[in-house]
Order: sequence, then structure tokens, then C-alpha cells
Amino acid sequence: MWLIECSLGHRNTVGKGSMDFISNSEKQKNEMLAEIGVKSVEELFCSIPKKMLLPPISNDDGLSEYEGIKLMEALANKNTFSHFDNYLGAGAYEHHVPALVSAITSKSEFLTAYTPYQPEASQGMLQIIFEFQSAICALTGLDVSNASLYDGASACAEGLLMALRSQKPRQKVLIADSVHPHYSEVIKQYLSHPEITVEYIPFLSDGTMDLNHFGKMLDDNVAAVLIQYPNFFGGIEKIQQICKMVKNAGALTVLCANPLVYGLYQSASELGADIAVGDSQPFGLPLQFGGPYVGYIACRQELVRQLPGRIVGETVDTLGNRGYVLTLQAREQHIRREKATSNICTNQALAALASLVGILWYGKKGIQKLALTNYQRAAYLKDKLKSICQPTPFDAIPFFNEIIVKFKKPSVIVQKHFRQQGIEPGVSLERFYPHLKDYFLIAVTETKSLEQLDKYVETARSLEKCEDQ
Amino acid sequence: MTKTLFEKSQTDQHAYSLPKDENVFKAFLPPEHLLRQTPAQLPEISEIDLTRHFSELAKKNMGIDTHFYPLGSCTMKLNPRVNELCASFSGFTRTHPLAPEESIQGNLQIISELISFLCQLCGMTAGSLLPNAGAQGEYVGVRMIAEYHKHRGDHGRNEILIPDSAHGTNPATAGLAGFKVVPVRTNSEGDIDLEDLRRLSSERTAGLMLTNPNTLGLFSSVITEIADIVHNAGGLLYYDGANLNAIMNIAKPGAMGFDVMHLNLHKTFSTPHGGGGPGSGPVFCNDKLKDFLPLPKVIKQNNVYTLVWKDAKSMGKIASFHGNFAIYLRAYLYVKLHGNYGLRKISEQAVVSANYLKKRLGKLFTIPFPQYCMHEFVVQADNYLNQGIKASDIAKRLLDYGIHAPTIYFPLIIKECMLIEPTESESKATLDRFVSVLEKIVAEILETPEIVKNAPHTLSVRRLDEVRAAKNPILKRVST
Repeated sequence: MWLIECSLGHRNTVGKGSMDFISNSEKQKNEMLAEIGVKSVEELFCSIPKKMLLPPISNDDGLSEYEGIKLMEALANKNTFSHFDNYLGAGAYEHHVPALVSAITSKSEFLTAYTPYQPEASQGMLQIIFEFQSAICALTGLDVSNASLYDGASACAEGLLMALRSQKPRQKVLIADSVHPHYSEVIKQYLSHPEITVEYIPFLSDGTMDLNHFGKMLDDNVAAVLIQYPNFFGGIEKIQQICKMVKNAGALTVLCANPLVYGLYQSASELGADIAVGDSQPFGLPLQFGGPYVGYIACRQELVRQLPGRIVGETVDTLGNRGYVLTLQAREQHIRREKATSNICTNQALAALASLVGILWYGKKGIQKLALTNYQRAAYLKDKLKSICQPTPFDAIPFFNEIIVKFKKPSVIVQKHFRQQGIEPGVSLERFYPHLKDYFLIAVTETKSLEQLDKYVETARSLEKCEDQ
Repeated sequence: MTKTLFEKSQTDQHAYSLPKDENVFKAFLPPEHLLRQTPAQLPEISEIDLTRHFSELAKKNMGIDTHFYPLGSCTMKLNPRVNELCASFSGFTRTHPLAPEESIQGNLQIISELISFLCQLCGMTAGSLLPNAGAQGEYVGVRMIAEYHKHRGDHGRNEILIPDSAHGTNPATAGLAGFKVVPVRTNSEGDIDLEDLRRLSSERTAGLMLTNPNTLGLFSSVITEIADIVHNAGGLLYYDGANLNAIMNIAKPGAMGFDVMHLNLHKTFSTPHGGGGPGSGPVFCNDKLKDFLPLPKVIKQNNVYTLVWKDAKSMGKIASFHGNFAIYLRAYLYVKLHGNYGLRKISEQAVVSANYLKKRLGKLFTIPFPQYCMHEFVVQADNYLNQGIKASDIAKRLLDYGIHAPTIYFPLIIKECMLIEPTESESKATLDRFVSVLEKIVAEILETPEIVKNAPHTLSVRRLDEVRAAKNPILKRVST
């Protein structure tokens, strides 16, 4: 009897297929309208000019949850890329994401909260951000960090903007041409202010900064210099020397780094950098087509009031118990409006949590081992490819987990051949630097087994048999 | 108090595992002079302790899943779990942002179709999903306005008009983009003061940034006049889409006269708020501005999707790669589940719920704007100042009753302001409970105001000292 009532009696509501997540029935809606004192919803729209008011929609064009999942499965399956052995890097790296990450980030209290405006009701998220800041400080060796920025590119831009504020009236920034070309373009976007000058420092044939040229560019109008670690070509620059030159010129060094490098090589603080920025994606975030990732920014103590975005600080409650709040808010847009240090409001909190869990899952010793594992697998592949590929000036430069290789065949043939073997061989550098025709940037992480690396080498070797056309 | 993980470190505890370290790899040693001197001072923790730590922290946080969360201008609606499920499909998570186009057709189709759908919903002709959050969307939009004037050789336009009720991100964005911010007054009806707008619009006006419905929850009945004034002065209209939840398939920003806009997908389209992001702030515009949209763009030809990375007229890049893809793909599923039909229902219910609450709360607080509101409204909680009770005290006391506080002290132009947005998700029963809790709090204010003044009493901490935090900033812990 009940079933029949469902299918016949309430045809209007029960037979509906699509989703709307609205908990009120027509009955409740009508009770609410009665309390308001109107007969229909349309009356509530009386302030909207009639000519722009749209008519009600009668055709339900939504989907059920099951249909929605099927649709998304079909789209995901169109992405054949997930079946390839992937050697693409260049700012987005395939690492193992610990299972614990999604177990933590999917917790309702984190996933469905917003910016901790009510600190007493948000101690969980506030402490997480505080711990993220602590982890970024530990990795970079610098004194203070913020709650996160959008991505590596915007972190570079914000790092330069804060350096410009701190070094007033200097108005010039120098950017190494070996910084990720995407990052450079985004920086240009953020520094489009008419008073700011941006100049680019050329690199030598081995991809490292032309230090002679750089020395000449460093004048007393330079506020900041941006370099990348490892640089876009995977190489380690003479950063300590560069930081000294910058310091002597009265400017600040902004160092953009893959944070995993800090598990093996010198920290930003040991190198003498003033501001450390980058993307923490390698810890805890899957590739997911480029986002969400998580930008980080850390600096020396004396620059703290120039930091952009949210910062969490420790304090006490009225009983003297430790707690956390958003702090130094006088820098921010909701208080300072057009004079704020940045316009950023919503940042990447949940991605920062993912990254924090990734960092802590490895912990102090694990991060060193992970970084060494990355280096050693890249070194193995580089060594094996030496006899198969052409020698290049890049070969002599120290590296971390990305290497540069020039095959003896044109890049189009290389890509076709490798893809036939189920391998995406690396980023073809020609798309970024036309003179680096047929060069590939190859990222090797802990996700590549000996078997996979040997398959790469075999595939490279069999290139010889490929026709040039 | 939960100690930080940095204080819970125990030597040689660990959670990690790594693939087998083959002998052939061990031979390779990194150059000694580059090695880090002091290891990063990170804690050493086992997986069980890590897990418990975060479980403990979760208990100290309110979310929509656990509490009613009427945070005005933030649209705290249900986050359907089906979004999370689908975003975790390996076909999406394993795609590299520089992967060859033929191997990422699913991703490109999502981008292309979501742009088309949202364009149609907003009455715009083109768009980009690249901006990572609302504020970055604003920046893109304002930069496009700058490019538009530059390309027309109209170089004197260095001012952006912004109502005094606007979100702080609006003036911050205009300032970042190099514009002078000119505030426009709000009149006693909560709408833009047209006389003031006429006076301030000039050959220096690059554009006006406007939220409609505005941050008071009111739809501007003079929107056509506003658009005419700004357009006649040669400026463009920017729409801040933070409040789109009120008007989906009811009115379109394009039809109101707006030229460019952003949406907050984490608000209206329910990709989760994540404790403060990641968001997604796509930008849409009309034909006047579409050439300037950022790169890369997705185009469809003969049923194949391709990416355009270079375009002379475009403003260029704004994100490292393709923006927050895994966030906007959730919005894609959300609009597919609802269809245009469901989205209109959402807006209708959001407006009904807000007006219902507003009517009922009028008995407890001053209602500065008596007309019908849209999806949210402001109350002025200045009725109890004589008892020494401010809006922030009421907000803290709500937490004790298991309700997240509304947005307080925003917009800045309303005294003791509480901005309340119930969203369509909440049932009448939940709204009724909210009213009865506020009635109880008002009774407490009259009988035992100390309870309210010292709230909260039931959470993991009591009221926190924000002044102390800013005076002597402690911004990290070092591993011990």
C-alpha cells in the first residue's frame, strides 16, 4: 500500500530523477512562504527588473547520482594518459601519494569547513595550518611561512612582490631565464605595474646562469632576483655565489624550489636565500592535470610583515590554554583593502593539509631517503642513456631528479616510438626554447622501478632502427 | 590541548615505506659539496600516531557535515560526496598537465563543456577556468579591462569604482592591478547611490566592480541605470559572482549589463571549501573582452579538443598549468546532476529560506533593510549594547549551541553586523532551531549576560587572545 502511494500519490516529487540536495518539500516551502507573507517565490524577486527576469523551467534536465558517476567514468576513460609510464615533470611530478593523505583530507570537519574566521570553532584547521607553516620552515630552514598560496607560479610572483615592498624605492626584479617559463609568464602578469621593471638573466649553453652578465645587470635599482632550484633544466645553479652577489648589491634572493630537493641538498637558509617559494605538490598531491597544487612561501623573520595571505599564530585562551588564530591580519585584504600585501583570500588549505600529511608520513629520515632514491634513479637512467644519446653541455651540471637528454632522432620520432611502447618519454624542450630542438627533460621519481628504467633504455636503444621520416 | 606533531616526535618512529633499493642504484652518490648540512627538523611519527593526531584535530573543527554553518557570502551548502568519488578516478588524477592532447581528451572535454554551460548560465559568450580562486578571477577580469582600454588606445583610465559594501578582495585586486580605487557610497536603501556614481564616473573610469545581489543580500533595482552610467562614461562593468547562488536561471549578469565576471565554484557550485581552499574562480566575459582571456584556451574542432598556448592578444598565463582542475571537475558534475532545472530550484529555495529566516529574526534584532532579500541578509545586532553584548558575543555563544556563527562585522558599513546565509540545503526544521537558539541567547543576554560575554564555554578552547598573537607572533614549532 505504501509503495503504491509512493509511485502514484506523490508522482510529482517521488518520480523525480535528478539531484538537487534541497531538504524542504513543497509543503515546507509553502509554510515558509506563508510566514514571509507571499504567495509565490516570484514575489520575492520583485527587485529584479522584469525585462531580465527569466521564466520558470519545467523540463528536468538533471541526472541521478548513478548516471553522474557513469558520465564521469566515461570521461576519465577518455584520458588514455593514465596507462603510460610517465616521465613528464617540469613542475608537476608523479610521486607516490600515501593512502593516509585522502583518509585525512576526506574528514568532514576539514573538507566541509571554510576559512577559520571563528577560531574557537576551528582549532583543528588552525593547528594544521600552523603545522604546515612549521613543516615549510623545517624544509627551507627559514624562519616564517604563510598558510599557502595558489601554486608555484603565484608563489614566485608573491615572493617578488613582497621583496619589492621591502626594498623600496628599488623597482626592478631580475628573473633567471632558467626559471620555469610558465612561472615567468605568470610573474609578468602580476608585475604588470607600470613602475616595475622586469629583466631576464640569460643562461649559458649548460642551462646555468651567465654569472658575468648577471653581475653587470645587478644595479642599485634591483630589489630582488629570482632563481630556481633545480632550475627548469633540472640543473643545480651556483646558488650560494648568486645569493652573495645579490646580497652585496643590496637586493633579496627569492629561491623557487621543488621542496623535495631539501631532503638531499642544501636548504634555502644554508644557501643564503631571503625568501623561499615553490610548489609543494610533490608531497601528497597527485598530478591531477595541474591542480590543485599548493604554493608555499617562507622568509627570514624581519620580512614577516610583508608576507601575503593568511598566517596562523599561537596564542592562549582566557584560561591560559594554548590555541591558534589567524594573525597579523593588518596585512590582509579584508582589513587593508587596496593597501593589502596581496588580494589573496581563499588559498589552498586542504591541499596544504594533503602536503603536510605527505611530508609527515615520510618524516625526518624518510624525506632524506625519498630524495636520495629520486636522485639515484635519475642518475641510473642518465648513466645508461649516455652511450645511446648525443653528448650535450647539460651533461656536466649536477642534477636532482630531472635530466636532459638529446636523442639521435628528431623529437617527433622519439615521441612516437616511445608512445608505441607505452612510455611518455619526457617534456620536449622545443616548445619552451625553440633552439633546444630534440632535447628532452626527463623526470625520474621513486615511482619508476628498475624494470621500467631498463625498458626506457631499451626503447631508446631501439630508436636507431626507426626511419627518420 | 593537542600537542603539535613537532612535539610528538620519537626517534626512529616512521610511517613511510619506499620501493626496493636495488644495488645498481646504490652506486650513484650525489655531489658532496651540495649536500644539506643539517637535516630538515621534521618529526618522526608512526602511522597510527599520525592518524590519531588528525582525528583528534578533526574533533576540534566545525564543518557543514557536522554543523549548521550560515556564514554569509560564503554559501556553505552541502558538498555531495559523489563529487569526491569522481574526482578520485585515476583517469583524472594520473594525468600530467603537459600530457599530449590526444591522451587527455576527457579533461579537455570537461573544460570546454563547463565553460559553455556556465557562459549560458551567466549570459556571457566566452570564459576561462584557469583562476585558482575568486580573488585571482577578479585579478584576471580587471587585467582584461586594462587590456581592453589599452588596445583601444584609451590610456587615461586608471580608476576602478567600487561600492563601500564590497568584499575586501575587490579593492585589493584593483590596487594590485595598478588602479586607483574610488569608493562609491551605498544609500539608505542598501543600493548604490546613483548621484555619487554619476559624480565619480568620468573619462578616468576603467570600470566598476559590483556584486549583485550585493553583500547586504539585496538585488539592485537600478542595475540598468548603473550599467548605463558606467558604460556612457566609457567604463566596463565587472560582476563579482560570489552571490550567484541567488539568481541561477532567474537573471543573468550578462543581461544586467556586465561585461566580465568571475564565479566562486567552491561557493555556488559546492566544490568543497576545504577549510579555506582550494577554490576555483573562473572568468566569463562578453565579445568585447573575449580576445584577452588567459592562456591556455581549449578549442574543439571536428570533435577533437586541442589546447592553444600562444595568442598575441590574450593577457597570457595566470596559473602554473590549468588552474584547479580537480576542483572545477566537481563543479562540472554538480551542474550535470542538477541541470538548469535543478539550479533554478536551488536559487528559489535559497531565497525563500533567507527571507523566512529574516522575517523570523526581525523580532530579535534590528533589520536595517526591510525589503525582501535574496539568498542572504544582514541583521544589526546593536539591540543589546546596553547589556554590553556585541555581535561577536552572540556569534561565540552560537558556537556553544552547535551552530557555526554567521559572518560578523561585514559588510563594514553596518554597525554590529551579522550577515546570514542559510543556503538551499538546510531544512525548515534547522532554520527553526537556529531561531529558537537565538531566542534563548537573547533571553540569556537579558538574564545572565556574562554567559554570553564569556562564550564559548563548551569548545576545545575558550575565547582566544588575538591581540597577543599579533603582538608577539609565534608562527611555528620546531621539532623537539
